[in-house]
Amino acid sequence: MPRSVHKGCDDFRQTSAATRDRWLSSGLTRRQALMGALGGGLTIWANQAMPFGRIFEAAQASAAEAPGARVLLSVFLPGGCDLLDTLPPIGAYGQYADLRGGMELQAPPALGTTGLGIHPSLAEGLNGGVKGLFEAGKIGFMPGIDYANPDLSHFHSRHFWETGLVTERAAPGWLGRWLDHHGSRDNPLQGLSLSSTLSPVLATASAPVAALESPNDVGLDIWGIGGQQERQMRAAWARMSDARVHGDGPEAVHTAARLAKSVGDRLAPYAEHDDVDPLAPPVAYPEDDDLGRRLSRVAALVAQPLGVRLASVDANGEFDTHDNQPTELADSLRSVSQSLAAFQADLEARGVADRVLTLVWSEFGRRPEGNESSGTDHGAGGIAWVQGTHAASGILTEYPSLTALDRDDNLKVTVDFRKVYASLIEGWLGTDANEVIPNANAYGRLALTR
Amino acid sequence: MSAVGVAEAAQAVVADEPVAEAARRRRRARRAARRRHGRRQAHRRARQPSAGSAGWTEAHVRRLFWRAGFGATPVEARRWAKRGKTATLDFVVNGPPGGAQLRGLEPRVDGRTLDPLNEWGDNVLWWLDRMVRTTYPLQEKMTLFWHDHFATSDQDTPMMLAQNRMLRRRALGSFRDLLGDVTRDPAMQLFLSLAGSTKDAPNENFARELMELFTLGTGYSERDVREAARALTGFIADWHDNGTVTIQYEADEHDDGVKTLLGRRGPFGVDDVLDLVVAHPKHAPFLVEKLWSFFVATPPSRETVRALVATYRANDLRIKPLVRAILEHPQLYRKLDAPDLVKCPVVYVAGALRTTGSHIVQGYPTWLLETMGQYPFYPPSVAGWDWGPAWMSSNSMRQRFTLGNYVVNYGRPRVRRGSAPATLTAQEAYELAWRAVAEPQVSPATRAALVHLAAHFFDDLDPDWRDKADWRGEALQATLRHLLLVCPDSQLH
Repeated sequence: MPRSVHKGCDDFRQTSAATRDRWLSSGLTRRQALMGALGGGLTIWANQAMPFGRIFEAAQASAAEAPGARVLLSVFLPGGCDLLDTLPPIGAYGQYADLRGGMELQAPPALGTTGLGIHPSLAEGLNGGVKGLFEAGKIGFMPGIDYANPDLSHFHSRHFWETGLVTERAAPGWLGRWLDHHGSRDNPLQGLSLSSTLSPVLATASAPVAALESPNDVGLDIWGIGGQQERQMRAAWARMSDARVHGDGPEAVHTAARLAKSVGDRLAPYAEHDDVDPLAPPVAYPEDDDLGRRLSRVAALVAQPLGVRLASVDANGEFDTHDNQPTELADSLRSVSQSLAAFQADLEARGVADRVLTLVWSEFGRRPEGNESSGTDHGAGGIAWVQGTHAASGILTEYPSLTALDRDDNLKVTVDFRKVYASLIEGWLGTDANEVIPNANAYGRLALTR
Repeated sequence: MSAVGVAEAAQAVVADEPVAEAARRRRRARRAARRRHGRRQAHRRARQPSAGSAGWTEAHVRRLFWRAGFGATPVEARRWAKRGKTATLDFVVNGPPGGAQLRGLEPRVDGRTLDPLNEWGDNVLWWLDRMVRTTYPLQEKMTLFWHDHFATSDQDTPMMLAQNRMLRRRALGSFRDLLGDVTRDPAMQLFLSLAGSTKDAPNENFARELMELFTLGTGYSERDVREAARALTGFIADWHDNGTVTIQYEADEHDDGVKTLLGRRGPFGVDDVLDLVVAHPKHAPFLVEKLWSFFVATPPSRETVRALVATYRANDLRIKPLVRAILEHPQLYRKLDAPDLVKCPVVYVAGALRTTGSHIVQGYPTWLLETMGQYPFYPPSVAGWDWGPAWMSSNSMRQRFTLGNYVVNYGRPRVRRGSAPATLTAQEAYELAWRAVAEPQVSPATRAALVHLAAHFFDDLDPDWRDKADWRGEALQATLRHLLLVCPDSQLH
């Protein structure tokens, strides 16, 4: 089957669920591409029997809200982040420079004794940014991450990463599925998406989750109504929301109405009041940076007794660097470095850093050979990392060869992203990975935490 | 709520109150209030199904006006129920003789007129205002459909407004003509890199979406995409000093070689590609199902799809007859008492303003639409927005809740001093609010919750001066009107 290779396209905009659903239901099969991956068709989801509409497992729910419970944060770099410029292979600088034909980084800072460099933007921010975090033993990089026979469409690949399933089937997100198994039945803040619409990684079959931009913007308020009348009004809202209805649309509306009230009630004590922000960060985040702003809210809410377990944040940057990569990527990685460094310092200042592990990922990598617009096209073998005081540190996976490329001149994949998911579920969340990732044992495990 | 339910709720209110002199005084006051608000009987009559046309009631009219536009006022519901199904559909589908007009107050932002080309957000208000005031709502609804279908985002405002006018002009005409204009539209050309796609460097972006999202969905190969991209080469963008762009076709830049496309061979050019995709057997079912899902919450049967495909083809791929066939399909009128299609944010906001006779007087709706997840002219991707249940999240519902503040404080449902005395019964207060927000369809559960709220809204006041607490009565009115506008029922149509 010919594989789609997008050149110079903008299709990372195509990441909406509607498109994915159309594609998922279209009967276009990617199975041929999957066959041979990991042998024996182990990755074919359709062969697995995991019911999504499972009845909620209430018995396990209470543990999720225990104070001090561990938190996993997903940070998505949309567009396909380039491995070669993020962690330039200074041990093979000549090959790297040849491939990039003039747009390569000049004398990038070295990353310890790893033989790799790091993009200079990633040294910016508090305490030396991402580079500083690496040197402090709080980051483990995973170069070469992807899956076998990668699909180079943004929305296909993103869908795979979001669901943890390389499949055409529609499914809840991989973090959402974890909440369906182990989450609370009544606390939407357990799955926190810092966005106006819910991140697909947190989409669940049954567990409540929340989307919000700011804890100051969640109350159900009627101007001029307060005190007892406000409480009565919200009770009326609860009655209307609780009415039993049938059908996808009415059910979605009533669920959202209940969740909106629940989120508003739970976050009411933390809203800004008389110009005092009770969640104000103890460290300086980069100014006018959406990623930093969202991360500061994650840190603040994780530190409160709100039962946050899983959270999702998207970076704003342009990682789909078909054109002008030197400038675009430098700006985007600067935001990432400054924001993540502030976030880590914030967690430590709030005394919750030991509870939080962050996974930074992107839907694929980029072609080693640069294109004619000082950019790179979609490729395989990308970059992800884990960050936190309990993150395994160092270079955790094999860096792909610059000479032994795959048949499409892309980097060879050295680690499957589902191996990382399975390892995080078991190593960090402490539950059986097979519940969430079908056939999880087939991928093996990586030591991602310590 | 049934009449019995209403009476029960009213009795429950009475039973809660102390039987004493104060109560007798209150009953007298209530009778007076009833005379003041004596439209109750008229209102009861209005709720009876109209006898104007067999099987065609106000509920049918409301359903049709919401799905084909932005809701019906009570007056419209009564008038068109009397005129019957055929006359109503003729009017809805064809618009008024002489074409669309804008009726009522011009939009303002803090007292100034709109400047859609230059002021941030005014482009959104300009379009929203058309939805609120047009005499031909289906035209705006279909313009919204095409804006989603041919999603173009983040291009300069003059180009986006020009595209919007083109989509409106073509909204109900021939699909092939529309596709031709979309293909040559500057905003689209830039968005999907068709401008600058030349024989030496063909760009597949537009060719791929042309088949995947615009016309076919499935039934083509990667090779068809590549060959179509070759056939579509030759467009060059010309940037002008005022920031606008025109698109030139330069034959030198066009690949005039032979292409193999969708099973045909030839030296195909731009219009050949468009002719081939709309003639492809997958096209009609693809568009029929997409349009259907815009108007109807439940999927069509195979027979329905077949019939609609036949209608579409028999009418030379014209949109209007197809839309009419969907709008008169019985499935659109299922569950008239329990609407099942989630309103998209634009329809929700425009509908609340239009049905209540309100107008745009502030910039507020722009950022409200953005936070609800549907910022016109900025669809999230070339695939447009995610519709249906996907509109709903804890955040989007909270943003929808805040719309009530805008409509109740700046729109016609504003509570005027002296208009809602504290002596109204809970039932009367509810009905006053219900009429003030254009008699929306609400479930018995919602009505009961609101009557209950009204019955207890004065509980913290000393009974001796409750009757004089008109300020509290007005606060209750604002609360009831707000909740009626934003309640779960009002998110559906």
